[in-house]
Amino acid sequence: MHTPNQSRQRSARRYQKTIGLLLISPWLLGFVLFKLLPILASLGLSFTDFYMLDPGKTSFIGLENYARLLQDDALGYLVVATISRAIRTVPLQLVASILLAALLASPRLKAPTPVRTLFFLPSIIPGVAIAFMWYGFMDPTTGWLNRFVLPAFGLTGFNDVYSDAAMALLYGISSLWAIGPGMLIMLGAMQSISSEIHEAARVDGAGPLVKFFRITLPVITPAIFFSLIINLIAVFGGVILLDRGNSFRGGGAPFDDYITYWMFDQWDLGYAASVAWFFFVLVMVVVVALFSWSRRWVYYPDREF
Amino acid sequence: MSRLNPTIPRNYVSLRLWEVVGTAVFNLFVFTLLLVYLFPMVYMTATAFMEGIQLRDRNAPPYPSQQLYVTYEGKEYKIYTVPFGDETRQLALVTPGRTSSEFIDPQNPAAGLIQWEGNWRQLVGVYEFHATWDNFSLLFRSLRLPEMLRNTLVIAFITEIGVLVSSIVVAYGFARFPLPGGNFLFYLMIATILIPEKVTLIPTYFIFVRVLGWNGSWLPILLPFFFGNAVYIFLLRQNFKSIPKDLDEAAVLDGAGPLRTLFSVILPQSWPVVITVSLLHFFYIWNETRQASLYLSTRRDLIPVSFGIQNFQSLTPVQNQLQASALVIMIVPLLVLIISQRYFMRNLVITGAEG
Repeated sequence: MHTPNQSRQRSARRYQKTIGLLLISPWLLGFVLFKLLPILASLGLSFTDFYMLDPGKTSFIGLENYARLLQDDALGYLVVATISRAIRTVPLQLVASILLAALLASPRLKAPTPVRTLFFLPSIIPGVAIAFMWYGFMDPTTGWLNRFVLPAFGLTGFNDVYSDAAMALLYGISSLWAIGPGMLIMLGAMQSISSEIHEAARVDGAGPLVKFFRITLPVITPAIFFSLIINLIAVFGGVILLDRGNSFRGGGAPFDDYITYWMFDQWDLGYAASVAWFFFVLVMVVVVALFSWSRRWVYYPDREF
Repeated sequence: MSRLNPTIPRNYVSLRLWEVVGTAVFNLFVFTLLLVYLFPMVYMTATAFMEGIQLRDRNAPPYPSQQLYVTYEGKEYKIYTVPFGDETRQLALVTPGRTSSEFIDPQNPAAGLIQWEGNWRQLVGVYEFHATWDNFSLLFRSLRLPEMLRNTLVIAFITEIGVLVSSIVVAYGFARFPLPGGNFLFYLMIATILIPEKVTLIPTYFIFVRVLGWNGSWLPILLPFFFGNAVYIFLLRQNFKSIPKDLDEAAVLDGAGPLRTLFSVILPQSWPVVITVSLLHFFYIWNETRQASLYLSTRRDLIPVSFGIQNFQSLTPVQNQLQASALVIMIVPLLVLIISQRYFMRNLVITGAEG
């Protein structure tokens, strides 16, 4: 037996659900059209010898592309290059953004907004401009690194800015120019710590270092985790929050470049799709692992998502 | 000083002094760090105003400059700092030589030639500040910048409308309405942020270019934005959720439908985050080169400005022109950021506090 009131409530709830679904339908449709279907189509393509210029001749070849991928000499290189790229940038970015956020959160800072804006600035300028600047800065004959910076420390310059080592260094250093969003979010988290907590800690005799490690760091773990995810996805060649395009030579993510090569130089979409799917699974495994690891160290104060 | 006022404990003044000194040292440190952090930008700005000849001069100062010269008997001679024992004189080089050179005194050319023993190449010139706009005018001559700028602005404007309207509506749905499957769809949306672009690109590119024939058109770039953007939806939803529900319940009691509630209750309180999201999107579009390189490489008249400047790299390897182009391409986001810094910075920071 339903009272009229109950059934009215239930139909009101159904009405609310329908409205909700209608409101999110643009995203839902976009998800199906631009994410779900392409991902499945990619999976389907990876089982074929689909050739961009002659799609009519496509035939089903089963797991052949994947067998080929596992024997591909490039695969090991791609995995190692991706990991080394992550090791070179992510820890550096995380430490730098935590320290910078701690500096910029200090009440001693004069003109906080302009200073924060200037530290944030490199994160929004186009990759093209950044590439020109860093290449120019490190240019062996005209760049300031060789002419003014290194001599100031009594060092002689290096000659080949395009060598692998120099490129790796360049990539690592310039990754520090992408920490803006992560740094701001950590800054926000630090400022949300009430001054009473700091005061209480001070009364209990905690010094600045103890306060930093025992209060600040635990509170900003969600922001650290967020930065970890954005930085890692950037290493994988993805984009979260701020894109800047890619224009360093060899600046593209290794897997990205390899897929592009099979797509646009070889037109072999079947093989490109199998590389892409392998990469997709790899990224998802890493992301899931990170999220389950995050439960052990990220502090969530009774938050509902 | 504490002796003047015995009621204040002795260490009070020193503590205050310590505060002042500490603040000064701290700020000095932050400003030095800022200078180091942005040093390549200083290099870029200085180089963009240099003439090519300065780049080839190893002794030239870091700021835009030219070597002083003197005109003597109808010809121009450059001025160098020439050492004579303990003192140095600024003289114009007339006949350079490896072991001995001849100079004249610019103040007194009539006095005739002055002999100097030594290699002239080891002499350092005398420079004065001299900035040139030549690099910029060359850039404007060799690239169709106004056309590219118009392209970027049109793309930004169209996608701005599309992405804002769709993201706001979707964020409102996620923030205020029960959905089938509870939070599942929301988590799914967050997860899509992490999907590598290349997985979806292969079939999408094939459909756009081979099936729909949209190569050399803006459609593949514009269309996806009309279905919302997961990051923007997330930011907007977090903000909408922080608005008290009583307000829109009151509006519903007054007979307002969901869209009326959104526009008359939610949006008026959310302008800061809407502006932040639209700025994020503007920066995104301004910097974007990937999509442009995929779909627009056949249509030079449709390319946006970042992509055009990126191609400029292959046209000229000359540093002063490259730095000028870098300055041109970054000046717009720089100005937008500086003008909007109070809104933009504060809101990203608040996002951190909520997130």
